[in-house]
Amino acid sequence: MKNIKVLFVLSAMAISLLLASCTQQFDTQQGQLNTDDLDYTNSDGMIAPLLGAYNVFATRGWEEPLLLSVRGDDVNAGGLGDQQPFANTDLYAYDKGYWMYNALWNGHYSDMIDLNTAIVQINRYKEFLPESELPRANQYIAEIKVLRAWLQFNVARVWENVFIYETNTPNDEIEANGVSSKAEIMQRISDLMDEAIPDLPAVRPNERQDLPGAVTRYTAYAIKALANLELQNYQGVADATGAIINSGKFMLYSDFYQLFKKPGELSDENLLEMQYSDFNSETGDTFYHLYAPYGPQNWTPSRENASSGWGFYEPSKKFIKFMLDRNETVRLETSVLFTDRGIAELEADGYTGFPNFVKNTTRDGDRINDYARAMFASGKHYLPSTQLTDGRNNYGAGKNHIVIRYAEILLMYAEALTQGASGSGLSAVQAVNLLRQRANMPALSSVTLDGVMDEKFAELALEWGIRYYDMIRLDKYGELSYDGRTFTAANEYLPYPQAQVDALPLGEESTN
Amino acid sequence: MKTRFTLLLLFLFSVHAFAQDILVSGTVVGAEDDIPIPGVNVIVKGTTRGVSTDFDGNYSINVNKGEILEFSSLGFKTVEIQIQNQTIVNVSLEPDIATLDEVVVVGYGTQKKRDLTGSIATIDAQEIEKTPTANVMQSLQGKVSGVQIVAAGAPGNSPTVRIRGLGTFGGATNVLFVVDGAFYDDIDFLNTKDIKSVNVLKDASSSAIYGVRAANGVVIIETKKGRKNAKPQIEFDSYTGVQRAQNVVKMANAEQFVTMAQESGSAPDAQFVENAMQRYGRSRINPNVPNVNTDWYEEIMRDGIIQNHSISATGGGENVAYSVGTNYFSQEGILDMKNEYERFNIRGKVEADLTDRIKVGVNSIFSNATKYEPDNAAWFRAYFAVPIMPVIDELNTEASPTRFANAQNLGYRGTQNPFPNLAYNNNLVKSRKILSNIFVELDLIKDKLKFKTSYSHNFSAFEERYVNLPYTLGNNVEIMSSIRRENNTFSNQYWDNTLTFKDTFDDHDITLMAGHSFRDEASNEFRATGQDITGIQLETSWFLDFADPESFNNNVRERGRRFYGLSFFGRLAYSFKNRYLLYGTVRYEKSTRFTKDPSGVFPSIGVGWVVSDEDFFKDNGIFDFFKLRAGWGQLGNDKVTASSGANTIDLVTAAFGDQQFSGITSTSVFTDNVWELVEEMNFGLNLTTLNRRLSMDADYFIRDTKNAIFPINIPVVNVTLNQNAGTIQNKGLELNLTWSDKISEDFSYSIGANFTSIKNKATHIDNEQGYIDSGSAEFRQRTIIGEPLLAFYGLERIGVYQNPDQVAADPFAANHPVANLQPGDLIYKDQNGDGFINADDRVVLGSFLPTFTYGGNIGMSYKNFDFSLSFSGQGGNSILNRKRGEVIFTNDTNMDADLAVNRWHGEGTSNSYPSSAGLRKGWNQQLSDFWIEDGDFFRIQNIQLAYTIPSESFVKNMPETRIYFTAERPLTLFNYNGFSPEVSNGVDRQTYPVPAVYTLGINFKI
Repeated sequence: MKNIKVLFVLSAMAISLLLASCTQQFDTQQGQLNTDDLDYTNSDGMIAPLLGAYNVFATRGWEEPLLLSVRGDDVNAGGLGDQQPFANTDLYAYDKGYWMYNALWNGHYSDMIDLNTAIVQINRYKEFLPESELPRANQYIAEIKVLRAWLQFNVARVWENVFIYETNTPNDEIEANGVSSKAEIMQRISDLMDEAIPDLPAVRPNERQDLPGAVTRYTAYAIKALANLELQNYQGVADATGAIINSGKFMLYSDFYQLFKKPGELSDENLLEMQYSDFNSETGDTFYHLYAPYGPQNWTPSRENASSGWGFYEPSKKFIKFMLDRNETVRLETSVLFTDRGIAELEADGYTGFPNFVKNTTRDGDRINDYARAMFASGKHYLPSTQLTDGRNNYGAGKNHIVIRYAEILLMYAEALTQGASGSGLSAVQAVNLLRQRANMPALSSVTLDGVMDEKFAELALEWGIRYYDMIRLDKYGELSYDGRTFTAANEYLPYPQAQVDALPLGEESTN
Repeated sequence: MKTRFTLLLLFLFSVHAFAQDILVSGTVVGAEDDIPIPGVNVIVKGTTRGVSTDFDGNYSINVNKGEILEFSSLGFKTVEIQIQNQTIVNVSLEPDIATLDEVVVVGYGTQKKRDLTGSIATIDAQEIEKTPTANVMQSLQGKVSGVQIVAAGAPGNSPTVRIRGLGTFGGATNVLFVVDGAFYDDIDFLNTKDIKSVNVLKDASSSAIYGVRAANGVVIIETKKGRKNAKPQIEFDSYTGVQRAQNVVKMANAEQFVTMAQESGSAPDAQFVENAMQRYGRSRINPNVPNVNTDWYEEIMRDGIIQNHSISATGGGENVAYSVGTNYFSQEGILDMKNEYERFNIRGKVEADLTDRIKVGVNSIFSNATKYEPDNAAWFRAYFAVPIMPVIDELNTEASPTRFANAQNLGYRGTQNPFPNLAYNNNLVKSRKILSNIFVELDLIKDKLKFKTSYSHNFSAFEERYVNLPYTLGNNVEIMSSIRRENNTFSNQYWDNTLTFKDTFDDHDITLMAGHSFRDEASNEFRATGQDITGIQLETSWFLDFADPESFNNNVRERGRRFYGLSFFGRLAYSFKNRYLLYGTVRYEKSTRFTKDPSGVFPSIGVGWVVSDEDFFKDNGIFDFFKLRAGWGQLGNDKVTASSGANTIDLVTAAFGDQQFSGITSTSVFTDNVWELVEEMNFGLNLTTLNRRLSMDADYFIRDTKNAIFPINIPVVNVTLNQNAGTIQNKGLELNLTWSDKISEDFSYSIGANFTSIKNKATHIDNEQGYIDSGSAEFRQRTIIGEPLLAFYGLERIGVYQNPDQVAADPFAANHPVANLQPGDLIYKDQNGDGFINADDRVVLGSFLPTFTYGGNIGMSYKNFDFSLSFSGQGGNSILNRKRGEVIFTNDTNMDADLAVNRWHGEGTSNSYPSSAGLRKGWNQQLSDFWIEDGDFFRIQNIQLAYTIPSESFVKNMPETRIYFTAERPLTLFNYNGFSPEVSNGVDRQTYPVPAVYTLGINFKI
């Protein structure tokens, strides 16, 4: 009996001891790094949120660029069989329940929030920075604002009246402002770029030593120009593009074909570029964009085992005929991958005597076989299989995606002048002729607005929907009514995604 | 040989020496197994005189003529025999299964079944052992009301268990398994033969004592243990059998496929068929069909062997009881690749009385399992692979090492052939699990106050190796070799202390228990992937050391977690006059898993009234027993994300000039969550009638999960956060009926039936949208208030357009010009009547949760034969046939024969299936009830026929031998167009089908 008492006492003691020791273990959490754990006094870490911002900017869903641009008369959705509402969108039959609309909205807005959070992070470092290092913090913040502006610009172009997010707690912004009109947003972007410009280095992106290809002052000017173009503030366009042109830093890359391939990465023509890479290694980590949707579904690559694509992005026959009619050479070759079936279609439409590059094999030896979904594929999103890193087979693996290039700046400038703005330096026709010269096209002696727009069609087709947004800006619905389509003013903007209407104060939309 | 029971009896009864004239002796054995029963109380009725049987079941006692001897022992029916002149009285005791004095296991203790106020189902070893399976929960399928078991087809995988519906949205639904006191999420390491009983604590008042771990239900498992003063018994049990796929989906054959392709009107499809004819020749029977007709399911499946061999010894001496054993189980998968499961177990359980007040025990189970996991993608690929392609294509010279056919060579978009998945994948998971437990029990006040302290450590180590062998398939398909290695260890420690007080005085019967528990749960997960393995042809080089070192870049990760939990708990069980019952528990929890609110209290209460013991109800002539009961309790679910969103930081990379830079991203939106709280009301009754032959249990419950974690999309910031933002309700009725009777000494039988109905719905969702979307956009599942969780959500099909006039008459044709509606397209219901068919017209089309389940069994024994049959079924659930539905992504592939044969192909041919051309149109591919099918099924769950040869039948020392034949799931009836209606989440894309199993077994007992 005594023993038992001893045992009992011992266990009671053990329990109370353990209870005491247990309580300490309730204070920490293993295996988690919290934002508060960062050392904001060490300014070396300040670049990390900026690098994160570039990651956010370049991490785009495959559907985003496709949906941004599919409605143009330069490009079609390819055939049916998969993602039919995407094809219907190309025919201006919109479906607000279609997942791509929501994905584009979400992809853009959540990235804007992430970018805003990166700004918050940098501001935390900024509190502890010496005066001398403040410009670096301001530059980083300005860079992120430029990246954010591009996302904001896109959503306004697609949906017209949308929200502006400039903080990472945008509830208050929504409550205060509701949706802003497209004009308000474009004006805001223009103003924000004016704020950012002084903080940014006056160099070409590829001149940046720390982060080659990152945002510079001229990127901000470019976005300012784009916003003013949407506002039809042509003098603003002329001023912003003029600042870029007159810096003398930018040059058209001499080889139009290679501009969209690896040699053209970080060229003197590029103002904003999403950079991807496998770091030239056969194995290990990669940072890729999924280019497969742009690729042909069936090919015989020059380098064996390179994968083909999905055939979701087909240059329109209208565009190809336009180019053939103009006797375009390198720009057509660069923009379009032909199949035998596609060439036969063109022949059936009365085209003969094609230039020699109109064949199913590219100059790099990749043969495009006939495939069910489409007749042509995008050449501007094509990376020759021979340029792939050994052992890497994804379509277009590691290729950069140019977002804004000097050619667009020149054409915006030229358009602004033909729209009545006054420029400093180049004339409209000079600007256009710079492009024509590279494209081996004869120089023009004068140029009208329509001439500039045709040039823009030839030069920038398949890139980011530039053509589509130009056409709706200029109300050229006739151009968009092609191949059996009928475009009306009601088709200009996509309906808000159903999921967003259910959740946000977006107001009533027409059922479509 | 005196037993401890004798001692006890001496304690209880004072012995008076009268002159008793007859010395009666004999042996007491169990009626079922003829094994002597030690420790049976043999008492002269109405006196205090008594003895108990010894080790060999023998007794002797002096009795006066005419007195009555009463033989009683726990778990057996009491027998009374009047002594006239007999001197030898051998007695066989019937096991007392139905008795309400039976003791059931409750949290941290036991309770008389009669006194239960909650709902606890007990399944004993005999029932469990009928099912040839590696996992004990599988053997519960259809047997317990309120418990839904969805079988897993792949060998070694655990079935999905849902107790009283689905009470959590995204959190783990794992039941808490308490194995001899230690907590588990998964009990795949237990050999079914080692289990003594499985106790399902269904209602909240029963399980609330497990606090924050109890919300998904608690299952207490006791492993077998020895009995003191029992002769050693050696048992050998072995069965071997074969598993065979049932209800294999019949696919369209080459001819049907070609017909569909031609009818689709698609030129490329016709071209692909043409290509196949050029490549493989034309069929001699039908020259318009290629000379290939591959039945892909036939090709990828095989019969699998299942076997189990156990040997165990149990017994005990005066102070010690032991049970030791070992077991080998193996099961091949029915998928024709390296797909199998093997498990070897060692087990020992010893309990010893150190003194008459101190008891110690050790329990240890070691399990070593090897599992080769299937590549489930093969199930899906076999569905869509075209039948006009062979498995091997000698013309595909670019394919190596094997010349597997590649559908791209015919023009198709994908490679389709499932064989590369089977041949070039090797997925090995080695798991080693140890459960070890030691306890000390002190009788502080004899038979009144007991203290028990128990320490358990369960340790699991998983070594995982996923190998992709390199291959080419022609047409630019080249796969590089790679190995993914995972090493995951889980080390969970539990220290439990309980103090239990029991007393009976006057009309009061009281049990009080107070306890303390400390948990320490740690895990470490390591994962690395290497590519381009040197020497990949040899399994000896399947190590990361042989991988290209550059391939590890950003492919290595390690994660560790350690949680602590501290609890105090108590239980009160009180019965007044044996008929007024009160039961209550409370548990205080503190858990480091949750930072916001780490502690909480989980109370429960239960009341019961044994009406049949009331004077006014006695001798009512109908009911032998009648009890009403009610319970209420709160439970927690801590298997949820404790915090969501990022106040944490993610490392990311970006590229600049082909150089890699590391940066960080973080979002400022996050929430700290608290556990989900389940609150349940339970009302029940138990009755027996017709001379105790019919018994019925019924329960009605309302179970609300409050603070349910939902993935809330915060629209403004477009971040989806898991938040405590809703309420889920499961409401249902459970009914169990048992009838047992004995017609003669030789023939007895029993019939049981159970039925459950459950209604699951979300009753509150706290977000802007008022609903929660899940599933992919094409196959939308939506959770809406008032509807079941994750309901299938789409358009309602009302028919098929039969002729052009019908199309033209419909406003949709004009409103949807792009859809180009034709006869053979589906007609949808315009729910809002606006003339358009769009997202606004979607409605709930069904839920994967059954609204009712049922089961039953019939058992018969005649002489040495026994036979049992059980069945089960469910209804009210739907299955999304995503195999069909993925035509939305690739529309030129194969389909099942039902779809091909029953398609619309002319006016009046079908009013439910679209035409072949229609199948390829976006209009018809929208999620509608065309793709959602009925998941009802009825199944013969198990048939067992056994013959027992009693010991020493033919030769001396011959062991008792039992030979048994088992058919598990021999027949399943259902309408669903798939292999098996058992799809745990209701989305059937690549579900591993559940095979039928036929085994022959033998059992020796010495």
